Amino acid sequence: MLQAASKLLRARVARLLVWALALIPLAAFALGLRAADFQDLAAVLNMLGRLTGVLGLAFLLLSAALSARVPGFDIPFGGLTRLWHTHHLLGAAALALLMAHPLLLAFSAQVHGEGLAFATLFPPLSDIATWSGWVALLMMMIFLAPTFSFFGKPDYERWKRLHKVAVLAVVISLVHTALFSRSLPYWTDLIVWTLFAGMALGAVLWRFVFSRRVGRLPYTVADVRRPANNVVELTLEPRRRPLKYKAGNFVYMTPFDHDLENGHGEEHPYTLSSSPLESNLRMAIKDLGNASRALQSIKTGARVTVEGPYGRFFKTPDRVDKPELWVSGGIGVTPFLARMRHLAALEAGGDIRFIYCVQDEARALYLLELQALAGRIPGCKLVPHYFYREGPLSQTFLRENCGDIDQREAYICGPQPLNRLVQAHLRALSVPRRAIHTEEFELL
Amino acid sequence: MKKTLFALFVAFWASVATIAALQALSNGLAVGTPDDEALPGFTMAEVAEHDSLDSCWKVIEGKVYDFTDYIPRHPTPPRVMEVWCGREATEAMRTKGIGRDHSPAAWAMMRPYLIGEVVEE
Repeated sequence: MLQAASKLLRARVARLLVWALALIPLAAFALGLRAADFQDLAAVLNMLGRLTGVLGLAFLLLSAALSARVPGFDIPFGGLTRLWHTHHLLGAAALALLMAHPLLLAFSAQVHGEGLAFATLFPPLSDIATWSGWVALLMMMIFLAPTFSFFGKPDYERWKRLHKVAVLAVVISLVHTALFSRSLPYWTDLIVWTLFAGMALGAVLWRFVFSRRVGRLPYTVADVRRPANNVVELTLEPRRRPLKYKAGNFVYMTPFDHDLENGHGEEHPYTLSSSPLESNLRMAIKDLGNASRALQSIKTGARVTVEGPYGRFFKTPDRVDKPELWVSGGIGVTPFLARMRHLAALEAGGDIRFIYCVQDEARALYLLELQALAGRIPGCKLVPHYFYREGPLSQTFLRENCGDIDQREAYICGPQPLNRLVQAHLRALSVPRRAIHTEEFELL
Repeated sequence: MKKTLFALFVAFWASVATIAALQALSNGLAVGTPDDEALPGFTMAEVAEHDSLDSCWKVIEGKVYDFTDYIPRHPTPPRVMEVWCGREATEAMRTKGIGRDHSPAAWAMMRPYLIGEVVEE
C-alpha cells in the first residue's frame, strides 16, 4: 500500500516537475525586473505583457517537449495518457497566456497616446517581429481549436494532421522571440531559450525522424480472428526483434496495406491483448472510426509497424500482491484480457474480482475465454454485469459482489461515462483515490 | 477547461475587434506626432555638452530630447543609451543596434522629454 502510494506520488511529483521547469525562465525574468517596471500602470501592464509572453512560450515549448512519445519515458509520469494530460494542460495554459500577451502590451502602449494600442497590435507589415508573433498565435489557435473542441468534436485524423501545425508554430514563436531579443535579461535570454527550444525540437526530431527508423518495429499479420462482428483480434509476428512490454501496455500500430479502405500508413493506439510471454503480439481492435473499421478486413500477410510500449496501467502486471478490483466496459476489456492471459501463462494466482460490464450476452467479448481463464487463475472471480438486465452499474452491485471493496486496488478501463460512474461509486464506497487506476482510451 | 479556454478565445477576439473599432472611429488620428508649436533652438555644440548620464541630451529627427530622467526606465542597461548622449541618435532610435525600429509606443513615450529643436550655428 505504502509502496503504491509512493509510486503514485512520484508520478505526480514528476508531472509537477515539468511545470516547475517554467520557473527557470520565470526566475530569469525576475532577475531583469527593475523598480521602473512597477512605476505606473503602463509599466506594470508592459511588464505583465512581457511576462505572459515568456511564460506562454515556456509552457508551449515544454508541452512540445512532452509530445515525443519516447517508449519508457512515460513510466515515471504514470503512463502516456497521464503524461499527455500534462501536455494538454500545458498547451491550454500557453494559449491562454499568449492570448493575454499582445493585449497587455497593446493596453500598456495606449497609456502613452491615442491609437497606440492599435499601432502595437497592427504595425506596418515590415515589422516582421510583431507579425511573426501574430502568425505563431494564429497557428496555435488553428491547431488547438479542435483539441479543445472550439467548433465541435473533430475527426481524429483531421485533428492529428492539424496538430502538426504545432511544429511550425513553435519554430515561428522562437523566431518572434529571437527578433525581439532581450525577452530575458543579459545572457539568460540565449541560454534559457536555447535549452527550452532544444528540448522541444529534440522531441519533434525524435517523433518525426528517429522514431520512424529506430522506434518502429516491423511485424506481419499472421492471423486474424473475429471475436465479434465489429471486433478483430490480430496476431502479429515480428520480422525483426520482438517488442518487450508488460501486460496492459498499449502501442501505436501503423498498417502498410494499400488494400485497406482507410488508414494506410496512419498510426493509431491499440492495447495489446497478448501475454508478454507469447512470441507474437495480439491486439483486439473494435470498429470505432474509419481506420479501425478498415482494419476489420485486413488480411494475413499484411505488413505493419509497432511503436511502444506505452502506458502504466497495472502496478504489478506480473503478480497480484494485494486484492484487486477490475471494472471493464466494451473494448476496455483488452488490458484485463492481456493480464489474465499473462497470469494464466505464469500459473500465477491472486485475489481478483473482475466486474465485466456489457450491454447483453451477445456483446460479451471473449466471455468464454475469460471464464476459462478465471477458472485457471486461482482466486480470480469473473462477474458479468448486463446493462439491459441490471441498468447502469450501481454501488449496490459493486458492494454485493465485492464486500471488501475499500481494501482493493481498483482498475477501470472503458468508455468515459462508465469510467466516471465507477470512479464516483468507488469514492462513495470509501476507496482511496490513490487506489483507483484508470486507463482512458479516448485520447482526445 | 474547454469552456474557460473558449471563453478566453472569444474575449481575445472581442478585445482585438474593440481596439480595431476604436481606431476606425477615431478618424485615424495621427500617432504621437508632436504639435507644431515653436520650440527653443539648440545648436549641435550645445547638445554635445550634455553627453553623460548626469545630463543626457539627444537629437532625434531634428528634435532635441533630454533623456536624463528616462534612462533608469529604459529596458536596457544605462550604458546602451549613454553612448548616444550629446549626439545625433536617430539611428539608435530607428535600429536599436539590431536593425529593428522602436515601437510606436516608444516613439510616443519620447514626447514628454522633448526640449527643443536643432538650429544652425
